[in-house]
Amino acid sequence: MSTSSEDFERWGGAAAWSAGTELTAMQTLLWRAERHPVQSSTSTVVIDLDRAPDWKRFVAATEWGTGLVRRLRQHVVEPVVPTAAPTWADDPTFDLSYHLRRERVSSREEMLAAAAQVALRPFDRSRPLWEGVLFEGLPEGAAYVLKIHHALADPLGTVQLLSMLQSGRRAHTARKPVGEDQLAPAAADPVDLAVSGLRTDVATLPGSARATARMLGLAATRPQAVLASTLRYGASVRRLLTQTAPPSPELSPRTGKQWSFLTFDAPLDPIRTVARQGGGTLDDAAVALVLGGLRRYHLRRDSPVAEIPVGVRVSLDRADDLGNRFAQAIISGPLSIDDPVDRVAAVRGEVLSLHTERALEVLDAAAPLVNRMPSFVGASALRTAAAPDAFVLTLPGPPRKRFMAGAQVQGMYVLGPLPGAALTACLVTCGDTACIGVNVDASAVADLAELEECLAEEVRAFSG
Amino acid sequence: MSGLSAAVQEAIDAIEAGPQGPSVGAFFDLDGTLVAGYTAATFYGDRLKGRDVSPAEFLRTVVTAVDGELGGDPTRIAHVAFSAMRGESEEAFADLGDRLFRSKIAGTIRRESRALVMAHQRAGHTVAVASAATKYQIAPVARDLGVEHLVCTQLVVEDGQFTGATDGPMLWGRHKASGVRAFAREHGIDLAESYAYGNGYEDVAFLSSVGNPTALNPHRDLRAAAARLGWPVLDLSDPVGGSLVAAGRTLAALAGMNAGVGAGLAYGLARGNLREGRNAAVRLATRLPMALAGVSVDVLHQERLWTHRPAIFVANHQSALDIPVLGRLLERDFTIVAKKEARWDPRAMVGSVVIDPAWIDRGDSASARATLDGVVERIRSGTSLMIFPEGTRSATPVLGPFRKGAFHLAAQAGVPVVPIVLRNTGELMRRSSLVLNPGVVDVCVLEPETDWSTDDMSERIAALHTKFEETLARWPS
Repeated sequence: MSTSSEDFERWGGAAAWSAGTELTAMQTLLWRAERHPVQSSTSTVVIDLDRAPDWKRFVAATEWGTGLVRRLRQHVVEPVVPTAAPTWADDPTFDLSYHLRRERVSSREEMLAAAAQVALRPFDRSRPLWEGVLFEGLPEGAAYVLKIHHALADPLGTVQLLSMLQSGRRAHTARKPVGEDQLAPAAADPVDLAVSGLRTDVATLPGSARATARMLGLAATRPQAVLASTLRYGASVRRLLTQTAPPSPELSPRTGKQWSFLTFDAPLDPIRTVARQGGGTLDDAAVALVLGGLRRYHLRRDSPVAEIPVGVRVSLDRADDLGNRFAQAIISGPLSIDDPVDRVAAVRGEVLSLHTERALEVLDAAAPLVNRMPSFVGASALRTAAAPDAFVLTLPGPPRKRFMAGAQVQGMYVLGPLPGAALTACLVTCGDTACIGVNVDASAVADLAELEECLAEEVRAFSG
Repeated sequence: MSGLSAAVQEAIDAIEAGPQGPSVGAFFDLDGTLVAGYTAATFYGDRLKGRDVSPAEFLRTVVTAVDGELGGDPTRIAHVAFSAMRGESEEAFADLGDRLFRSKIAGTIRRESRALVMAHQRAGHTVAVASAATKYQIAPVARDLGVEHLVCTQLVVEDGQFTGATDGPMLWGRHKASGVRAFAREHGIDLAESYAYGNGYEDVAFLSSVGNPTALNPHRDLRAAAARLGWPVLDLSDPVGGSLVAAGRTLAALAGMNAGVGAGLAYGLARGNLREGRNAAVRLATRLPMALAGVSVDVLHQERLWTHRPAIFVANHQSALDIPVLGRLLERDFTIVAKKEARWDPRAMVGSVVIDPAWIDRGDSASARATLDGVVERIRSGTSLMIFPEGTRSATPVLGPFRKGAFHLAAQAGVPVVPIVLRNTGELMRRSSLVLNPGVVDVCVLEPETDWSTDDMSERIAALHTKFEETLARWPS
C-alpha cells in the first residue's frame, strides 16, 4: 500500500471519528466533576518535530483537521438542569486563532515548562475543548503542544486522533479529503435539552419501575441469593476502594497545582523483551519501569518503602491489553524488587488478580446514577476513589514516524493529569521507540532532579 | 474405562507431549486443589472438639473469618489462628498433622489431582506444593503423593515451641506468587514452561507466574477470571462422601450379604455338600450386597483369574470393600489369611463364616507358622489363597511395601502368584468408614507368575511391586 493511499484511508477514519452527539455517562461524570487542575481530565501531548514547519502551512493543515474531525469545532452544551447528558453542538463562534498560536523558546526545558503552564490553565468550557501551541526556536527543531479535554478525547483517543491526522510523507498532499458537511446538530439549547431529557425520563419511567419491581420481587422470593450476591459485590467494592498499599511519605504533600513535565526515550524492543521474560505485557513493563525509578528514588532518599499504590488500566475484555472496555484500578506496586523481570512478573500478578473482582466496573456502573445529582456529588465520588501515588498508562502510537505540515515527528509524549496522584506516566509507542511522558506534582517531590535522574537510570536499565 | 474424565486425560496427554525434565516446574495448591475442602478447617475442628478454644477466641475467629469474606483482609484469620498457637509444641502439632491426615485428610485427596501429580512426576518435572498452609498440614499429603518440595508459610519455632509469629509473609496471593518465583530461581526452573494448579480467587497471581496455568475446581471469582483470561478450567470429581442414601444401601447390602450366606449354606446343607454350599454362599453373599449397594466391577483380563488355580492371589488393600470385591472375582474355592484382630470386625464377620479364613496371630510367631503350614496343605488340596501383601490397609491409594509371606507360601506350595490390582475401592468405601458408596470398581488382573523360590524372591517381589505401581499410575485400557 502506498503511503498516500494509507494516508487517505486513515483520514477517512478520522472524519468518522466524532460520532455520537451525547457525552457518555463516564464522560459526563468527568465533565461535571472537573475541578481543574486538582481534579482534571486534561491531557497534554508534546510532539517533537525535526524542524519548525512553515507556519502558514501548519495553520492550513490544522484548519483542514478541524474540518475533518468536526468535534474539534464543537462545544459542550449542558442542559439547565441535569436531566439529560450534555451534548456536542457546533460552536458558531469557532475561531481557529483562539485555539492555535505559536511561541518562541530557546531550549527544550523551557518548552516543557511552558507546556506545563499551558496544561495548568483551565479551558473556556463554552468553546471547543482543545488548544495547540507550536514552539519554535528549539535547537532540535520545534515542538507542538496540544492540550485536549478528556470529554473530547481520552489519552488513547488523543494519540489515535493525532496518528490519524498526521501524514505519511513530508510533501504537501493536495486534494485531501474534507469532512462532509455533516448534518450539523441543531444548535442545542440548554432548556430544550433539559426538557427533552425529562421527557425521556418520564417515557422510560414505566420501564424502570417494572425493572425495580422485578428486582424487589426477586429479593422477596430469593432473599438469600440476592443478599449473597449483594454482599459479594460489596466485598469486592471494599477490596477495590481500600488501598492495597499505604501511600508513600516520599510522595507528599500533593497540591496538584505544580505540574512538571519530564520526557524519556527508550528503544521499544528491549522493554518488550523484559516484558516477555516476566510473562507480562508492555503495560506491565511500563508499570514496572516507573516502579523501578521510584524504587531508586526511595532508596536514594533513604526511605525504603515495600510497595506503593499504583493506578493502572485494566482491560475488561481480555488479558492482553486489547479490547474496548477498560477500568481504572489500583494495585500494590512492588518497590522492593530489584530485578526488572521479577518486578514485571509481580506487576502482572497484581493486574490479573483484579479480574476476580466483580466490582471492577463499579465506577462505570455508578456513573449514570451519579450524573443525575448536582456536580459536587460526582466530584466527591471521584475523590472517594482512593488516589494512588502514581498512574501508569501505555498507549499505542503510530507504527512509524509521520509528518506534520512537512516536519517529521521525532517523538510523541502524553502528559496526563494528576487527579490526586503524585505522578502520572504515559508510555506511547512511536515506531520502534517508547516515548515516556511523566507529569510530576512538584510540590510532592522533594528533589525533582533526583527523581528525573532515577527514572532515566531505570529507563537505561530496561534498555539492556 | 480409565476412571479419569476426558478433560483430565487430555491434560495428562498434554503433559506427556510437553517438555520433560526437572527444569519444568509443576506447582499445586493444597486446599481445594489437591484435597477437597480446607485442611485448616479439619485442624480447627479438632481444636474445637478438644475444647482448646475459649469462647473469646472462637468469637474472634468467626468475626475475622466473616470480615475476610466481606472484603476485609482474608489472611487475618490465619494470623489469629497462629497467635493462638503460641507456646504449643511443634512436635505435638506435627503428630497431630499426621494423625489428622490418616483419619480425615487422606480421604479427601482427589484421585484426579493425584493422577496429575503422577503425570508430572513421570515427566521428570520438579513438583512442589505451593500453599498458604503450614507444613504441618501439607507435609503428610506431600509425602503421600511423593512430592518433595513445599513452598509454604513458615511458622517461627523457638525451643520446640511456636512463637505465634510467621517467618516472612503468609504465602497467600501475591506472596505465594513471589514464593514460587523465588523457588524457581533457586531450582533453575523455567516458569514459562511450567505448570500451576490452583482454585482460589487469590491464586491468580500464583497461576499467572507460569506459562501453563490451570484453574482447578475454581472458586466462582477465579472461574470468572479464568474465562476472561482464557485459562483452562478443570473440574475434578470429589471423593464421594457418605450420603444418607449410601448409608441405607450399605445396610441393605449387609442384610443382603447375610441373606446370601444363609441361602447358600442352606443350599449346601440341602445338597449335602458343604463345599458347594460355601461356593454358592460366596457368590450370593458378594453379588447380592454389591448390587444392592450399587457397586459394579470392571475387570481387565478376567480370564487370568481362572487359568492358574490353585494359586495365591495378591492384591493391594485400601478398603474393607476389597474383600467382597475379591470374593466376587474369585467366586469359588478360595480362602484368606487374616489377622486375628479382624475376626470380630462386623464387616468381615459374615464373610469369615463362609470362607473359613486362616487366622494368624501376629503377636505369636510360633502359632502363626503352624497356621501357615496348615494353609500350605489347604492350597495343595485345591483351595486358592487370597492375601494382601501390604499387610494392612493404606490410608490412600499409595502402595505400601510388600511383605514376603504370600510369596513364601507360593514357593512352599509350589503354586503361582496371580496379582490383582484394585484401583478405587478406597474411594467407594473409605478407610475407617462404614458406608459404601455406589460406583464402579476398576480391577486389573496382571500376568500370573510361576516358579517361586527363595533365591530371587526379593528381586521378584520388588519387580511385582513396581508393576502394581505402574498399573495404578497408568491404568491399561
